[in-house]
Amino acid sequence: MEAADISHHTSRRYNEDLERVRSKVLAMGGLVEVQLDGALGSLIDGDSKLGQAIAKNDYQVNSMEVSIDEECSRILATRSPAAGDLRMIVATIKTITDLERIGDECEKIALIGARLAGEERPEDRYRAVKHLGRITQAMVHNALDAYARLDVELALSTARSDRIVDYEYEAIQRQTITFMMEDPRWIRRALDVMWVVRALERVGDHAKNVCEYVIYVVHGKDVRHTSLESVDQEIKARTAGA
Amino acid sequence: MTVLAAAAVGALVDHVGVAVALALAALLIRELYMLQRVVQWLRSDRVDLAPDSGGIWGEVVSLIIRLYRRKQYHKRRMRQLLRELRHSTAAIPDGVVMLSPNAEILWFNRSAGELLQLRHRSDVGLRIDNLVRRPEFVSYLRAGDFRSPVVVPTSGAVEQYLYFQIVPYGVGQLLLLVRDVTRQAQLEAMRKDFVANASHELRSPLTVISGYLETLAQDESLDKSLRGPIGEMRRQSLRMTAIVKDLLELSRLEGEDGATQGEPIDVNALMQQLRSDLAARTMSEVDIRIEAELNGELLGEPPQIHSAFGNLLENAVKYTPAGGMITMRWWCDGQGGHFAVTDTGIGFAAQHIPRLTERFYRVDAGRSRASGGSGLGLAIVKHVLQRHGASLQIESAEGRGSTFTCHFPPDRVRQPAVAA
Repeated sequence: MEAADISHHTSRRYNEDLERVRSKVLAMGGLVEVQLDGALGSLIDGDSKLGQAIAKNDYQVNSMEVSIDEECSRILATRSPAAGDLRMIVATIKTITDLERIGDECEKIALIGARLAGEERPEDRYRAVKHLGRITQAMVHNALDAYARLDVELALSTARSDRIVDYEYEAIQRQTITFMMEDPRWIRRALDVMWVVRALERVGDHAKNVCEYVIYVVHGKDVRHTSLESVDQEIKARTAGA
Repeated sequence: MTVLAAAAVGALVDHVGVAVALALAALLIRELYMLQRVVQWLRSDRVDLAPDSGGIWGEVVSLIIRLYRRKQYHKRRMRQLLRELRHSTAAIPDGVVMLSPNAEILWFNRSAGELLQLRHRSDVGLRIDNLVRRPEFVSYLRAGDFRSPVVVPTSGAVEQYLYFQIVPYGVGQLLLLVRDVTRQAQLEAMRKDFVANASHELRSPLTVISGYLETLAQDESLDKSLRGPIGEMRRQSLRMTAIVKDLLELSRLEGEDGATQGEPIDVNALMQQLRSDLAARTMSEVDIRIEAELNGELLGEPPQIHSAFGNLLENAVKYTPAGGMITMRWWCDGQGGHFAVTDTGIGFAAQHIPRLTERFYRVDAGRSRASGGSGLGLAIVKHVLQRHGASLQIESAEGRGSTFTCHFPPDRVRQPAVAA
């Protein structure tokens, strides 16, 4: 079970099919990255126009998911892939679901950003949210890089950084609760901010899932719901044994 | 020599045949031995172990050594040249990536690696669009139209703008040039902001000035000698207002990036409206005709298209003397939709055409100022058309009039169901 080698097939068409699916997934990922960037921008810069444009654009992510899904089913039906290719297809079907969810979270953030643009901005200009946003953006980017390169090490380190996201999420939650207790007039906006932070935390989770699929593709091991340390150790043992 | 000596010795002892045969045998053994040594030497792959011998074998060995040395020399030079070449390309401040026809990375230099975050060992052989995923770049790569470069903003902690240019070479291979243009993009953004802010700030004082001038112009008690200057001041302040309005419109067009989706526009109705608007505003004695076939609607932003077509018509009216004729045409075909304004006015020389859409460009300094134009009309037209993926074609002959044609791509036109 070495790194999935999807570039050696007697049928050139088959190869092209697999390669095309991969490129499509990454193009979808690129779009999702732009959506996330725009959604955060709309909130942080108070740009309602951008927020609405991003929310409207989510249909593109959805239609890409549908098209990739169809292509995967077609490959499953006509080529009956095995081993590494099969894992690649299975992981791809799961990956696009997660990417589509990230797209949905972006739509949520963008809509809230568009709505909050009309209101007074807090003194810290959403600094904490911005910081969390940068971390999740990097996670999505690295998860997609790991998918493109089938890079287990990057996938592992990215999955690990989900903990930082969770930590930041907690911190912002506590801070927001303090704000709400200090001044009840802020409650409505604070709730909106909580929604954004929650969405970002979900984005981090989805990025982590993508990383787990990468590990699954390369090592054929399902690492969902297991601790990352044990995964790390097991992989090290495998590569040492090989 | 040896054989002759052996024959002589043989003659002395009366056994010429035996002596010659012995000598020949000795010679053969020696030659075979030398051949064996040369072969061994060649197999050993070490020049310094060359067998030392005279005669024909010595010459063979020294010739082989010379051949080898010369080859070594060329090889060294090639290697040195290659190393220098690699060092120089690595030192190029612009990123360079060599791509296969399938857009797989074949080679890239250091700056490309830094700009695009590529890794040397693992990324060769991967498709470039799998790693550089911005939709703008991916669609540029897939469209296959590499005539113009593309500037792509990258997300991340620091905002960065990258300039991509693809140059096809060899058999389907592609050379991708990458450059960091963040600074230029920021300067450009600053310039746009400045123009927008300056025009905005100029608007309010201008309104005050125009307002007072208007009251003054109607003031009966004012000295007669001031009438003329005040009238002129009013005209000029109106012109300035027009310029500021156009500048604001331009910076708004620049500010909105990306192509617009738009909604269907009934061009025939728009042309009628433009004509009646113009008739209400000016008292020009120019015959304006509309030639329209019953077909396609245009997909675009109605206010922008209105302003672009209006500007074209206004220009035509400005430069067409009384008694002239202006024709507006709208038609659709396989290449898309086309809107043309033809006038029988004064026209201009061909050398002005490339610069005509520049801001404040004057064909001759006197003429458009006299006609009260802002000098921004065609710049606005160009920007609107760019946002709609359309192009502007200008034809003119001095003294005989000009034609301005807007070509819209097919996906901007919605054909009615009846039309073939």
